[in-house]
Amino acid sequence: MDFLNHWLLTILIFLPTVGAILVLIAKGRDAIRWTALATTLVTFALSLLLLTTFNWHQGDHYGYADAGGTVQMVQRADWIPAFNIQYLVGIDGLSFPLVILSTFVCALACIASWNIEKMTKGYMCLFLFLETGILGVFLSLDFFLFYVFFEVSLLPMYFLIGIWGGPRKEYAAIKFFLYTLLGSIGLLIVLIGTFLYSRSIVPGGTFDLVRMASPEFQHGLVGAVGHGVAITFFCLLMLGFLIKVPAVPFHTWLPDAHVEAPTPISMILAAILLKMGGYGIFRIAYPLYPQAAKAMWLLIAIIGVVSIIYGALCAMSQTDFKKLVAYSSVSHMGFVTLGAAVMTTAAVNGALFMMIAHGITSAMMFFIVGVVYDRAHHRELSRFGGLATTMPVYTGFSTVGMFANLGLPGLCGFVGEVLVLLGTFQAARSDSILIKGGFASSTQIYWLAVISCFGVILTAGYMLWTIQRIFFGPEKPEYKGFPEVNQREIVVLTPLTVMCILLGILPTVFFFTFTQKTVDGMFNLLTPASTAQVVSTQ
Amino acid sequence: MNLLAAAIDRPFIPGWADPANGLRPFAPELWLIVAIVAVLIVPFFTRRSNLACAATALFGLIAALLATMIVGTSDGVVGSHFRGLLVVDPVTVFFKGLLFLFVIGIILMWLCTTSMSMHEGDGPEFFTLLLGATLGMSLMASTSNLLMIFMSVELASLPSYVLAGFRKTHRVGAEASLKYVLFGAVTSSVMVYGLSMLYGLYGTLQVEELAHQMTTGSATSVALLTVAIFGLLIGIGFKISAVPFHFWCPDVFEGASIDVSAFLSVASKGAGLVLLLRILMTLASTAHWHNVPGISLSAVAIVVGVIGSITCTVGNTAAYVQTNIKRLLAYSSIAHAGYMMCALSMLLIGKGAESDLKDPASVATQAILLYLAVYLFMNLGAFTVAGLVYRQTGSEDIRDYRGLGRRSPVLALCMFCCLVSLIGLPPFAGFVAKLNLMWVLFRSGGWWIALIVVIGVNTILSAFYYFRVIRAMYLENSDAPAFFPNPLGLAISGACSVLLVLMLLGWSPLGRMTDYFSHLYFGSATVLVHEQPDMSSATASR
Repeated sequence: MDFLNHWLLTILIFLPTVGAILVLIAKGRDAIRWTALATTLVTFALSLLLLTTFNWHQGDHYGYADAGGTVQMVQRADWIPAFNIQYLVGIDGLSFPLVILSTFVCALACIASWNIEKMTKGYMCLFLFLETGILGVFLSLDFFLFYVFFEVSLLPMYFLIGIWGGPRKEYAAIKFFLYTLLGSIGLLIVLIGTFLYSRSIVPGGTFDLVRMASPEFQHGLVGAVGHGVAITFFCLLMLGFLIKVPAVPFHTWLPDAHVEAPTPISMILAAILLKMGGYGIFRIAYPLYPQAAKAMWLLIAIIGVVSIIYGALCAMSQTDFKKLVAYSSVSHMGFVTLGAAVMTTAAVNGALFMMIAHGITSAMMFFIVGVVYDRAHHRELSRFGGLATTMPVYTGFSTVGMFANLGLPGLCGFVGEVLVLLGTFQAARSDSILIKGGFASSTQIYWLAVISCFGVILTAGYMLWTIQRIFFGPEKPEYKGFPEVNQREIVVLTPLTVMCILLGILPTVFFFTFTQKTVDGMFNLLTPASTAQVVSTQ
Repeated sequence: MNLLAAAIDRPFIPGWADPANGLRPFAPELWLIVAIVAVLIVPFFTRRSNLACAATALFGLIAALLATMIVGTSDGVVGSHFRGLLVVDPVTVFFKGLLFLFVIGIILMWLCTTSMSMHEGDGPEFFTLLLGATLGMSLMASTSNLLMIFMSVELASLPSYVLAGFRKTHRVGAEASLKYVLFGAVTSSVMVYGLSMLYGLYGTLQVEELAHQMTTGSATSVALLTVAIFGLLIGIGFKISAVPFHFWCPDVFEGASIDVSAFLSVASKGAGLVLLLRILMTLASTAHWHNVPGISLSAVAIVVGVIGSITCTVGNTAAYVQTNIKRLLAYSSIAHAGYMMCALSMLLIGKGAESDLKDPASVATQAILLYLAVYLFMNLGAFTVAGLVYRQTGSEDIRDYRGLGRRSPVLALCMFCCLVSLIGLPPFAGFVAKLNLMWVLFRSGGWWIALIVVIGVNTILSAFYYFRVIRAMYLENSDAPAFFPNPLGLAISGACSVLLVLMLLGWSPLGRMTDYFSHLYFGSATVLVHEQPDMSSATASR
């Protein structure tokens, strides 16, 4: 158990790399596929082991477990002592659900990749490298290490879109790459800048994200960094993460990337890569610069609301099924941005839940698109119709997925949306962080909340319309001979459907028990009381 | 007899030539000179065989490299020698080590790329020129005397002109050579004009004395001084291909054979940068890193910083439209020289959050040395791959890289590693170099922050054209046949790629090493005139 506690996270991160090397050695298409699948499945199984080692009742503040905090299973080793850069990994309620989601979706995407015929070896190799990058991002607690993994996950994605993608793959791949690179340059500047200022607080400086969020450090940071610099750094961080999320107006890479990417890569892109942005906001941007976050809340909230509405409107006007799903991602991730901006417990919980729920539903949606594309070889919504009679099982799965996506009560999409909206309304109360701190007026918040509510209606609108256009109506002759979903596709769809329902009806059991302590702990950092305490004790 | 015993005892140090060890600091250059003479003599016994010349040159360079190492570790050599004509300090030791290592790499690269197409019997000339240019560059990095500066710049340039046109049957080669000569002649004459003015104004050839008089004297004409300094800057700017003196660079790289292009891309620019570094830092340290009535350091810093940022921006934007891999790498090398020039602008004590930044020289030097060390391997790797592809396909067009990922997977992977490293992305060392540079600028605070933004924006600009090559290699298909490249070439580029990853993982030792070597020797004149702590002993004890 001790060994696991110490090494499990490192094993999780690098197991896919080992798998990638095995894939390189493997001979024959089947051997490659099975090696890759075995790797992802073992990784998933190991991540489930976290359920036994990760103690979600432990900790009363955002800090390391050995000091009574929530961040556990920490493994650290000096990497570059001159800059106090560490190999530092750990897990808490914020990363735990995302790690499980990543290994889960990667395993399913690996099954979904079964029909990749072109250069299978290269594909599976890059796929597994990507998984290492993803898990590294979610598990590293050192800013430098985070940045390295953040960038490392970019390169395989470029090739996965660029080589195995659709007709405009090259354009989509480089667009994805340049957009994300733009954001990461912002991150890089903040990385260096924050480290520079940390040297006046901690001898030799630090890249330790948890330590940088601690009240003691924050107290020093407020003194060392001027308000203007803090705002600049916060905005650069948010630029980096909002591009990844993606929020309007930085979202234009997403529809292109999704439309061109092969189905399994779209699943990973939507389900996990977008979450890196959301995760970065909660792990880095807000804990490091909470004051700037409060000062900039309106801008972030407006970006969130605009993403919700604009994304939904764009989705409504799409004729391409995959593009519609892509824009619905923009809309749904807008809730995450909004939830972060308004800073109430309900909204933040909702935003975190939304990330997981969207991870499940978007993976499912993209797979659903892939299934029908494999058969029809087009994605034009207007040309579909009457599939309910030819493919009843498929229709059943799809309907569950789409209803979960539009936020039907009882399915997973609902919980996140409602909590974010509820939290936004709560932010208008006089005891919320924003109102009490004098950053916002309740009128502003009401307006934002009311407008974002319309997003729910719009989502229902385009989703229902899509269901109608694809599955209902008279049966069309050209789709008559379509085979029903095969066993492989059922293997992918069933776990996703089960998760949609379980997360929808038992959100506490499957989600909030894990995150409760961490969210409470991080929230204490945001409230002015904790800073005041430190000041008074000093 | 004693002398012979001593010669056997310390074979690489001709200390036996002078009981007072007078020649010891000059040992690396002496070995190069020995190698040059040997390269001219050996052909008489080997029927002018190219390979024999290459082997002789290699031995000479290895001896010079070992001599550099021994000089670097022996006591009492740090300082200025031969009445200030030669300076030995940790920076020169490090740079010479890199330079000789790099030229060894170039000769190995020559073996596997252009040696086959070189006319048998041309070896002696080629290697004489190559070693001659190397000698000039190593002197450029280790002198603070105006006369010697001019001599060494010419010694580095003249062989380079011939090397650029060495492919005698190529029209482009001849054009490149001519262009290089004309450009070089004009900038050299401007430089010697500026140097003569400096001598006329102050009556001394030693840079440290000049700096002292500049910072204390007030009776000189500012206009004359400005012209003189600009003349000097133009001469060196030509060597490091700073904008607007960069026009020769793409043409020469295109016209010259690939090994010569690679040689010029790192060695020539590196030597120019170290020379400029020495001059500027001597000036700034004499002025104690503050503006003094005699000379405004911030003006010089702004000029250098602006030239640096324009250089990298022009390099990166002009690379967009290139279709020839050598021209693309030429513009990329212009951009990288620009990045390094940005670090040269740290002539004043910054106003950043760091109050402990008392010595901008060693900080800037460290950034440049680390960048050079990484840049060397990225460029050597990329040029080697380009050379191997040229040898296979006879083309330098990026379109002929299509499908390389399938045709020669290992070679393409090496190219990928080098290019991603040139962009400055992890997991490759180019990231470390760039991060280190940005970190150093950030520490200085003030308007240096603007340079960070420039470098950041340029990184994005550069990603686009490097990725054009990557896209061609992996995303586009061609039905050109698969090939297995020369194993030696593969080994060079493979070693470079592996080193690039290792240098990221081992940033710590790399940083410590460059820290150790980042101390310039500012000359005895400063010590004599000012009552400051004894710089020479402080430097030596480090």
